[in-house]
Amino acid sequence: MTFLQPFILWGLPLILLPVIIHLLNRMRHRSVQWAAMMFLRAASRKSTRYARLRQWLVLLFRVLAVLLLVLALSRPLAGGWLGWMFAPAPDVILILLDRSASMELRGPGATLTKRELALNLIGDAAGSFAGTSRFVLIDSATQSPGEIEAISALSELASVAPTETAADLPSLVQTAVDWITRNRPGSTELWIASDLQASNWSPESDRWNALNAALEELPQRVRIRLLALPAEADDNRSLSLTRVRRLETARGSELELDMEIRRGIETSDRLPLTLTLNQGRSQIDLAAEGRLFRHRHVVPLETREGGWGRVELPADANDRDNTAWFAFGPPPILRTAIVSEDPLAGRYLALAAAPDPNDTNRVARPIPPDQLASVVWDEHALVLWQGTLPKDDVAARLEDYVSSGGIVLFFPGDETGSGSFLGNGWGDDSRAEDEDTLFSVQQWDQQDGPLERTAEGLSLPMERLEVTRRRAINGEHTLLATFQDDPPFLTRTATGDGQAYFCATVPHPDWSRLQDGPVLVPLVQRLLQAGGARLAEVDFVACGDWDPSATPDTWIAVDSETRRDPVTQAGVYRAGGRLVAVNRPAREDLPGTLEPAEIESLLDGISLRLFEETQQGGDALQSELWRAFLFVMGIFLMVEAFLVLPERGGRRPIPMTLAPDDTPGEPEKELAA
Amino acid sequence: MAEQPQWLDPGVLARLTRQFLHARLPMEGNVTGHHKSPHRGSSVEFAEYRKYVPGDDIRRLDWRVYGKTDRFYMREFEADTNLRAYMVLDCSGSMGYGSGATTKLEYARRLLATLAWLTVQQGDAVGISCFDYHTAIDIPPRRNPAHLRTILDSLGQVKPRGETALVGALHDLAERIRRRALVIIFSDCFCEVEPLLECFQHLRFRKHDLAVFHLLDRAELEFRFDRPVRFVDLETSSSLMAEPAIIRRQYLEQLQEHLDRLKTGCSQFHADYRRITIDQDYEKVLADFLIERARARVGSAGV
Repeated sequence: MTFLQPFILWGLPLILLPVIIHLLNRMRHRSVQWAAMMFLRAASRKSTRYARLRQWLVLLFRVLAVLLLVLALSRPLAGGWLGWMFAPAPDVILILLDRSASMELRGPGATLTKRELALNLIGDAAGSFAGTSRFVLIDSATQSPGEIEAISALSELASVAPTETAADLPSLVQTAVDWITRNRPGSTELWIASDLQASNWSPESDRWNALNAALEELPQRVRIRLLALPAEADDNRSLSLTRVRRLETARGSELELDMEIRRGIETSDRLPLTLTLNQGRSQIDLAAEGRLFRHRHVVPLETREGGWGRVELPADANDRDNTAWFAFGPPPILRTAIVSEDPLAGRYLALAAAPDPNDTNRVARPIPPDQLASVVWDEHALVLWQGTLPKDDVAARLEDYVSSGGIVLFFPGDETGSGSFLGNGWGDDSRAEDEDTLFSVQQWDQQDGPLERTAEGLSLPMERLEVTRRRAINGEHTLLATFQDDPPFLTRTATGDGQAYFCATVPHPDWSRLQDGPVLVPLVQRLLQAGGARLAEVDFVACGDWDPSATPDTWIAVDSETRRDPVTQAGVYRAGGRLVAVNRPAREDLPGTLEPAEIESLLDGISLRLFEETQQGGDALQSELWRAFLFVMGIFLMVEAFLVLPERGGRRPIPMTLAPDDTPGEPEKELAA
Repeated sequence: MAEQPQWLDPGVLARLTRQFLHARLPMEGNVTGHHKSPHRGSSVEFAEYRKYVPGDDIRRLDWRVYGKTDRFYMREFEADTNLRAYMVLDCSGSMGYGSGATTKLEYARRLLATLAWLTVQQGDAVGISCFDYHTAIDIPPRRNPAHLRTILDSLGQVKPRGETALVGALHDLAERIRRRALVIIFSDCFCEVEPLLECFQHLRFRKHDLAVFHLLDRAELEFRFDRPVRFVDLETSSSLMAEPAIIRRQYLEQLQEHLDRLKTGCSQFHADYRRITIDQDYEKVLADFLIERARARVGSAGV
């Protein structure tokens, strides 16, 4: 309990006043000469236990009323967080601060963000422990413990500043456990301030079990105080870019921005987005609907050079989730390596990979079998392989290529072959018996992958693809398209950052009409674009997940003269000619918070005290209780008044004043008779 | 003329001198007086006819009846006699209580002295019996005006002390008074009700007219104390520490029950019961007492 006027608490001994008055009253008794002692003795004998109990209750309620009056005048503050003041001071207090972007949310009408509110509450509470406890701060962004010399200056530390990172609470608690193990302090308390965002707490993680075990095994007593700030704002919106692609089309260079807008409530309205592209600003009016709204925006590029930009939402409850950054480089040369046993199929594949001879950005290069050992696969955006699967050293190098982000599309050959690639291999050969029983593709993934719909929403003409010969695909894979009788047409196997695709037929007249183009060209071009992203001179990284210190370069924000930390601050950073767009991690935008009971189950067996700060207003920091105290005091006084009231009803009325009875006896009539 | 005691107020005496203390029952006096006697006598008030028997005084033969009926009838008249009043004063320690200017004993003295003066003035005999647990003053009734001085002197000597001996004294009195008399008791009746009522029954059995002045202090009736008090018994000097707020209800219940039982018992034994608080004007108390007794006599005479 905390009081705004704590000096009034010196008046607490006043609660003894009723007792003292009672005792003085008894001591100040006077002696009275009395005649009617026979009634007095009888009354004293009959004085019931209830009467005495009632006297004690009256005294008790008077004491309580004075106590509540003193407490009310001291202006007590509500809040279990501040109520910790009465706990014994620990040796060390580890402050675990969630600095994720979601902590920058402001409640309706509030002037402080959750992080600022948490810092204020912690600072106020910690003030009482200054001089008795050491304070160590571990923030979620850097996760590096640092001792705080002056707790009063907590909110001014650089390590508590807002970030665009996501928090990893299990990792944060693990850091604290490691620190305790390493430094072996005495009694320790963990003060965790978090908004309980589910994606930050990872309740499904097995790490919690290990953490609980580690906390229980610590020799010293460790208590956890959790300041939960789970309040959400319905009017908050968050913006993220799910994909940024530079397209070279017949219209010229274009930048395709796939954006995602999340909102707290189901609503539809128009959102004015601000697009900044290479210092130029424009506005995008979006008719957004629903909690989750996706939009693809295409911007024509007037230059073949690279650049950067950002998309911004109007200001709302959280300014840290309104901006998404992007960067793009000059169009890369998309090289396709074609390895084909069948020359005709090889030519078809080369045409699909580089359909326009005048387009110098797309180069298809047939690889003779004798050069396979010397090919530098990493300079290729895509590898098209028709025939027997690679073996030995070639297969190993090709797997490395895929792991590093490369993409390979395999087509079968006449021979089944005994090899496999990433666990997949070719199976039996099957042919259509006649023209009426040709194989056709009936089901394929139209939402995602290389066979997805076009930007205009048109489906690829898969059902018109005629296949006369096919080969089974064996192994573990993801089905992207299947024939009408279930065997796979196209599969995908991912490893590392790359993927290996297997197609059941060959662009060759003996196999199918795949070489006609409507299916093969989009398929190859899409894979080429995906593989080419690896070659672009820009990177998209999640804030907090990227460690720029691992690179030898010095990274400077492109949009600001002031120095910014790419570890914690989103933006576009440049090092030499290379651009990196740093954005909030996608998980930071995921809605959903944990309930207190879920937190307690996560920290099962640990001494946990949870205080939920639901109000977000600045005034809610200190919610005064004096009205409640005065109200309860009033109730006590009413009970006391009720107890001292004389009894009524039920019994024979007791005359408070016995009037003299002058009525004489009237025996005369009887006597005369 | 000898100086009158302070409890005899000449003004009150002058105003009450026209009042007459009547007995409600036939009295047995030794001289002719103003009170009805249980015997036939020579007063002017006709009583009854009865047949002549030899030896009767022929002067009381009703010759008119003889003339009409040719039979001898004797005319008989009521006998009037004087009153013998016994004033009984409780001198126990409790009678010494008074929350105001006067005590119960002082108040009783005024009542008793005034009534004694009136009784002697109307030619009736008055005696007093003052007693406490240890001593007793007993002055037999006389009609002599000089006897009043003896009574007043005795009244001046009594002091409140000791425990009450009312019950024993009344039984003793009932045995000692052989003729019908008026017994007037002045007491706070702070004793057990049942033995006291047995005394009243005893007196009534002896054909005595009985009047009870029950004297109480208003503080005893209201019991208004707000702080803890050590009550010291006026009779035994024992003390009791009590919290009035706790026991007040029980005290008033006990007192009320005592008063109810006493009043009911007095009514049962045809005693003239009067509950008096000593802050009342004693002149009015006496006037009411005398007037109501006079009315009662007139009423009984009309029956």
